[in-house]
Amino acid sequence: MDKTQTESDRDLPQVRTQGLNLYYGPDRVLWSLNFDIPRGCVAAFIGPSGCGKSSYLRCLNRMNDFIPGARVEGHVLIDGADIYAPGVDVIALRRRVGMVFQKPNPFPMSIYENVAYGPRLFGVKNREALDETVRSSLEGAALWSEVKDKLNTLGTGLSGGQQQRLCIARAIATEPEVLLMDEPTSALDPLSTSRIEELIRDLKSRFTVAIVTHNMQQAARISDYTAFFLLGELVEYGPTSRIFTVPEDKRTEDYITGRFG
Amino acid sequence: MSTISIRKQQDADLVEIKRTLIRLGKMSENAVVHAVWALKNSDVEAARSVIDGDDALDELTERIDESCMSFNARYQPLGQDLRMIVSTMHMAVDLERIGDYGVNIARAAILLEKKPLIKPLIDIPRMSAILSEMLGKALSAFDVEDVETATTVFTLDDQIDALEKQVVRELFTMVMERVDRLEQAFLLMGVARTLERAGDHATNIAERVIYMYAGKIAKASDYKNPKDKIQEQESRDES
Repeated sequence: MDKTQTESDRDLPQVRTQGLNLYYGPDRVLWSLNFDIPRGCVAAFIGPSGCGKSSYLRCLNRMNDFIPGARVEGHVLIDGADIYAPGVDVIALRRRVGMVFQKPNPFPMSIYENVAYGPRLFGVKNREALDETVRSSLEGAALWSEVKDKLNTLGTGLSGGQQQRLCIARAIATEPEVLLMDEPTSALDPLSTSRIEELIRDLKSRFTVAIVTHNMQQAARISDYTAFFLLGELVEYGPTSRIFTVPEDKRTEDYITGRFG
Repeated sequence: MSTISIRKQQDADLVEIKRTLIRLGKMSENAVVHAVWALKNSDVEAARSVIDGDDALDELTERIDESCMSFNARYQPLGQDLRMIVSTMHMAVDLERIGDYGVNIARAAILLEKKPLIKPLIDIPRMSAILSEMLGKALSAFDVEDVETATTVFTLDDQIDALEKQVVRELFTMVMERVDRLEQAFLLMGVARTLERAGDHATNIAERVIYMYAGKIAKASDYKNPKDKIQEQESRDES
């Protein structure tokens, strides 16, 4: 997609979900989802296990395409363009929509190569340009000062928190527009969690972030909008400050106060 | 959807905080009611016991504060729990202030000791009785999560406000007749003003109860009776 945007493009929601249904074989997993994620915002997805929040996240970069029997109905528009339209280049889509997973999963290669992998895949060959991308991505992921002197050591040798920041650096190296995070801190200690949360707040000036979390306080701390999913339905979606203080739906109230889950 | 029991301790802690706040409410109400009784009956002993009781009231307020802080640290409450804890902290401050007003009135009772009252006290005890009713309703609404009862507090506040104006008007007239009544009249006006303010704090508590259980910001002015609203508008227009 052309990176130059007109005024009206900027006014568009970054991610628009319209009548989205997802099926895994005969099972319907998501039910008629309709909502927008504004540009430059952090949207948090909460709900009990199996409610469909991670499945939804995987719809945003078509990761569900890998699951046999998965079928999507409806539309997901990123910057106004339907990512499920015929002829969409899925590889290019995944460059625009990066993803960070629950467990840090650096490639078994050097720190430098982990970050340079994506840009290289998309054709950047110039060493200086790659160096610059690696530096700026590691800086963006708040990891540069810790690893700048050991870029050629194995990424897998870093601590858990550092590995997760390396994965974030890897995800932002291809300059995505949207960053998906599936419980990115659930395997980390409080200090590393806090660094990642700080990072997410910084990143939203450059990317739109969609994050799945089981930690309600985390959603309250870092997100601008919160969506509560239950049994594949979007029960409530709105500004985080409202969802966590005066939710409109009793099911949301019961979930955030720990009355079921 | 399965209901799980992790809330047991959390609910027990909330109930404990609630009980303590209701106890504080009863103590604050007693402080004012007893102080007004002491004033009406020139009973210095009763007035002193109100003043002596203030420390216990302050301690209980501190305890509520600590319990709320500890609840926040333990559970990081959200939704209605969050509204309840934040509101409880505000309500404790309102109740503590009402207790302080009881002390102020008790001091006035001591100052007026042995001086014959320039008039029998009728409206001031009436204000105290209305305040008592307001606090009773607000705290019962808090106890049983009854938003409807909480809204009835607002019209009672209108009655207290009207009585305060009446007391001040009456005392002014008496001072104009005889200037040596000035000192006592000022003290009694102060008492009426104090009761009117206590009514405002009781109103705050009712507003908090509504926010806590209905999730909406309630304004007492939305519940004023239409006649009072017209009068207020007229007095604003005149000024």
